[in-house]
Amino acid sequence: MTFLLEIRDLTHSFGALQALAGVSFSVREGELLGVIGPNGAGKSTLYNLIAGALAPTSGEIRFKGTSVAGWKPYHAARAGVARTFQIPKPYRHLSVIENVALSALQHDRTVKAARASAQAVLAEVGLAAYAEAPVSILTAGLLKRLEVARALALRPSLVLFDEIVAGLTPSEVKGMTALVAGLSARGITVIWVEHVLYAIMTTAPRIMVLHRGDVIADGAPEKLAKDSAVIKAYLGEEMSLA
Amino acid sequence: MDGVPIAAERPLSRWRLMPERGTLSLFELLLALLCVVLAVLGLSQNVQDVLIQTFLWAGLALAWNVAGGYAGLISFGHASFFGVGAYTSTILLVNYGLTPWIGLWLGGLLAAVVAGALTLICARLRGPFFILSTLAVAEVFRIAALNWASLTGGAEGFAILPTPSVFRMVFVSKTTYATLFLGYLVTVYCITKVLEGSRYGLQLFAVRDDEDAASAAGVNPLLARTGAMCLSAFLTAIGGSLFAQYFLFLDPTHVFSPELSFQFALLPALGGLATAIGPVLGAFVITPLSEMLRSYFGGGAAGLHLAIYGTVLVVVMLYFPGGIAAALAQLAGGHVKGAS
Amino acid sequence: MTTVGQLIFSGLLIGSIYALMSMGLTLIFGVLRIVNFAHGEFLMIAMYGAWAMTRYLGLNPYIAVAAVVPAMFLFGGVIYRLIISPGLDKPHLVVVFATMGLAILMQNIALMLFSADLFDVAPLLGGRSFIIGPFYAKAELLIGFAVAVACTIALRFMLQATFLGKAIRATVQDGEAAMLMGIPVPRIFLITFAGGSALVGLAACVMMPLFSVFPTVGLNFVLIAFVIVVLGGMGSVEGALIGGICIGVVQSISSYYVAAAYGQMFFFILFLLVMIFRPAGLLGRRGEATIGIND
Repeated sequence: MTFLLEIRDLTHSFGALQALAGVSFSVREGELLGVIGPNGAGKSTLYNLIAGALAPTSGEIRFKGTSVAGWKPYHAARAGVARTFQIPKPYRHLSVIENVALSALQHDRTVKAARASAQAVLAEVGLAAYAEAPVSILTAGLLKRLEVARALALRPSLVLFDEIVAGLTPSEVKGMTALVAGLSARGITVIWVEHVLYAIMTTAPRIMVLHRGDVIADGAPEKLAKDSAVIKAYLGEEMSLA
Repeated sequence: MDGVPIAAERPLSRWRLMPERGTLSLFELLLALLCVVLAVLGLSQNVQDVLIQTFLWAGLALAWNVAGGYAGLISFGHASFFGVGAYTSTILLVNYGLTPWIGLWLGGLLAAVVAGALTLICARLRGPFFILSTLAVAEVFRIAALNWASLTGGAEGFAILPTPSVFRMVFVSKTTYATLFLGYLVTVYCITKVLEGSRYGLQLFAVRDDEDAASAAGVNPLLARTGAMCLSAFLTAIGGSLFAQYFLFLDPTHVFSPELSFQFALLPALGGLATAIGPVLGAFVITPLSEMLRSYFGGGAAGLHLAIYGTVLVVVMLYFPGGIAAALAQLAGGHVKGAS
Repeated sequence: MTTVGQLIFSGLLIGSIYALMSMGLTLIFGVLRIVNFAHGEFLMIAMYGAWAMTRYLGLNPYIAVAAVVPAMFLFGGVIYRLIISPGLDKPHLVVVFATMGLAILMQNIALMLFSADLFDVAPLLGGRSFIIGPFYAKAELLIGFAVAVACTIALRFMLQATFLGKAIRATVQDGEAAMLMGIPVPRIFLITFAGGSALVGLAACVMMPLFSVFPTVGLNFVLIAFVIVVLGGMGSVEGALIGGICIGVVQSISSYYVAAAYGQMFFFILFLLVMIFRPAGLLGRRGEATIGIND
């Protein structure tokens, strides 16, 4: 069994603040890995390191066997790693479909072809009706869906979802979790950081818990829910049990 | 399907009335036709002079907009490229007898190289810092040109002998010049339209709107921006060469001046940034207007027309950020894709 | 050797005056995160004000300070309300172009009112030079230097010890956090902009005996001011002083050994070098120029 993504002793500090303290884990191809943890646990930093937005202070990141630590975000995207942003970052002056088509341009040679691909992806996430609309009319929840669409349009082998159901209505959450599960079924590897615990605990077969830059638990959700370290980490933390 | 469509349906007919990204509209075609007619009509010398300048400024405004509006690289130093183009083709003509028809390409290439270097070095600087860097570069060129008399003729300027010939790109008839400059405008316009509908254009807009997201989607922002700046510089420099061929005299204080740089930026800002028609509209409105005001008021109220621009610019930027293009599109009932 | 020493000394004095002119700009830059492209024109109208008071009221520019500085404070406030404030929540190019438009407007109103002629005020003590140690210096330069240094100290005190100063520093560091802590950030913006304009007024009075005023004089000085602000670090008053002195010295030495015009070019090159290697400036915080202002 080959690992698609291997993280070894990944450490990152912002000056005196250590965000990740030697994190190690591996993800198999086609796996769906959920990542949870209180605020400040280092989840965003982890994503930024994997996706190339930051270069780690030390440690190893291997994607498909190659060492990629310190690569640029566009290298990651071209290699098949897609990510969403926790606070959506749409292209404000472009329409919804153009936002998605931009990602599709990595595989489609022409704008026309990219738009066609984008149309399909929009349908997949339920945004087809908004294709020609300017992004300014989208609500926060729809913007999150747009983030997902942009990531999927890259036809990635690894997707990093960052809190994609936070702020969504229960039915939207259902739709999104079904989407994520579907991706996993198609063989796309997914790492999913989330605060909405019920969504992720019921969907992901494996959950990793981050706390203060360390992995404090890694395994099946049922086991984790009873893990004393996990409960302790969350005590006093306001959880979103939406 | 997914419920009631929110966005406007695309009309069945292929032709649009008002300018839109990626397609040609009736408005643009009619405007082009009007320009052609005006160019060949052979009107009075004064009118033709205004026409020539208008076409030139429209082309230069479009060129600036590739960097400023499309790539988000606002520059107040485009006079660098203008001057480089003007002096390169002129020096090659006067000193080495090289025809400007070739010289202008060399000037363009040189300007593109300068732009490439500038962007690669300074693009990581944000907003005001980048703008100031462009200003500084233009000032360096101006002072160098002013003092390097052996190359540029220094403060006395550099003149082209007005002997007409096609080889030397000097013509007797203003109509010929008008056609030439209109050709420049149309070429730059076509390049702009193709760019904005292209794959690269879309990537450029994305980088402009959100660099991090574009990077995460596979676009190298630095390369994208550098390409835009190079293209912008190239086109601006060609405009500079044409300028030299018409006015037949280059003065470094004018050619590399901040005032000129501001003008390159002002016209697209007034006309509508990040649209193709915007800079054209800006030039078509402002250039004849300024000529009229200048000749009407003469020396009497020198500066009145500029004072008016300044005020208009402030008002437009604060209250009508989409410029003339947006106002026009709103009048026609459409929505505008652009800088607002 | 004394020539170099004299050059450095003169450069130091004139540089401090350049610094005084830039202090308002750096504070505005630091607090509001905007570039006021009309900064040079603010200087220009203040200089015309000082000149007018000297010519028509028989005062001298130093006394005119009492009128020019408050007038500039008010003017800054008005401009802030009319032009800057509406542009703050829009893309940064709006403020850039709006202040550029303001600059063009102001330049040309001056042109229409005063014509393009150069105006001067008579030198204060008959143009006499004083001898300080082994060096000569004109009285106006020495006064200017004293004012600049006093101003830096006063500003540092204000920033350090008064509530307003602390509020300003907080806003420079993190505007959002400052607002969350109850600091009335919009009012800080207004005060900073108006105050920065007042500082320009002070600089203008000090500069009037040394430079001529004409409608486009602002352009020369604003470029110098930008270079100083960048060199010294955005928002740093001491940085402006040090940056100004550096610029003054560089200009003084290069004008003497190389043609005067090339001297100007040197500090643009200096500016570009700073932009390339240390865009945050000598005393600025690292990363400021690249992370994003108003993005």
